[in-house]
Amino acid sequence: MTVEMLNKQRVLHLLDAFARGDLEAALACCTEDVDFLTHAPIDVLPHMVPRHGKQQLRELWQTIWSRYSEVRYKARHIVAEADQVATYMHTYFKKRSNDRIVQFDMAVFYTFRGGLVAEIREIIDSYDLVQQVLEREIGPLIEGRQPD
Amino acid sequence: MTEHSLWRFSRALHRAINDRHFEDIEALIDEDVEWALYGPIDMFPFLGARQGKDAVLEVIRQLGDNFQVRRFDRESIMLGVDSAASMLRYSLTALDSSKPISLRVAQFAQFKAGKLTSMRVLIDTFDLVEQALGRAIHLPKMTSVG
Repeated sequence: MTVEMLNKQRVLHLLDAFARGDLEAALACCTEDVDFLTHAPIDVLPHMVPRHGKQQLRELWQTIWSRYSEVRYKARHIVAEADQVATYMHTYFKKRSNDRIVQFDMAVFYTFRGGLVAEIREIIDSYDLVQQVLEREIGPLIEGRQPD
Repeated sequence: MTEHSLWRFSRALHRAINDRHFEDIEALIDEDVEWALYGPIDMFPFLGARQGKDAVLEVIRQLGDNFQVRRFDRESIMLGVDSAASMLRYSLTALDSSKPISLRVAQFAQFKAGKLTSMRVLIDTFDLVEQALGRAIHLPKMTSVG
């Protein structure tokens, strides 16, 4: 098996562990100093700040699981080269508060070191995500009107 | 060693956007290409999903009508046999306002016989909208959802 195939399997293993809520199994796929960076407005998503180290990543993932009761992924594209893997995913998160589904696409780029994930970089269609989290259109906020 | 299809496509794409030179890019797009560049289509009509070469070429023309690519840096790049994924930092100029716009973009491309058959692009769209507006969007602070 090539290192690329192995790293793809490692990413899918991490995603499966996270999606079933087994955070310690997911964290076991990461280095102690794992670095996480995403891009999203922290007014609405205050937990989506940069994270460094397993404990901070654990806290992020615990926060997500405290707000969502179900997490599903479909990895539509997965590309690997050397110590890097990129995934394009459809993701589904069910809100605990009202069972509504937040559904969005995300790109996640993983960098491996010694067989473990050392760096996670995400890009999300953040405008759509914010609207789904708020359960309202952003347009009225842009125009300075009070949303319905 | 043969050059990966991504490099030819990338050069042709930027030439089409910046120089309005479409001959190269036309030759590198499959007739049945699937294209998705997600974001708020009410603000940016060239965003959204497209099917087929003509529709994709029209999007590329619209991108050229609206933006000039000043610079781009690939922060990550992965090349498969007929696929590629990259994370890029684009520095653009919005042509209607001359505003500089800086974007982080994830790009997933698939090729067949050297032609693009699928392109999916994700952008930090909230940031894009704020830059296009030239001001922050004031959102309600949330502490218990999301």
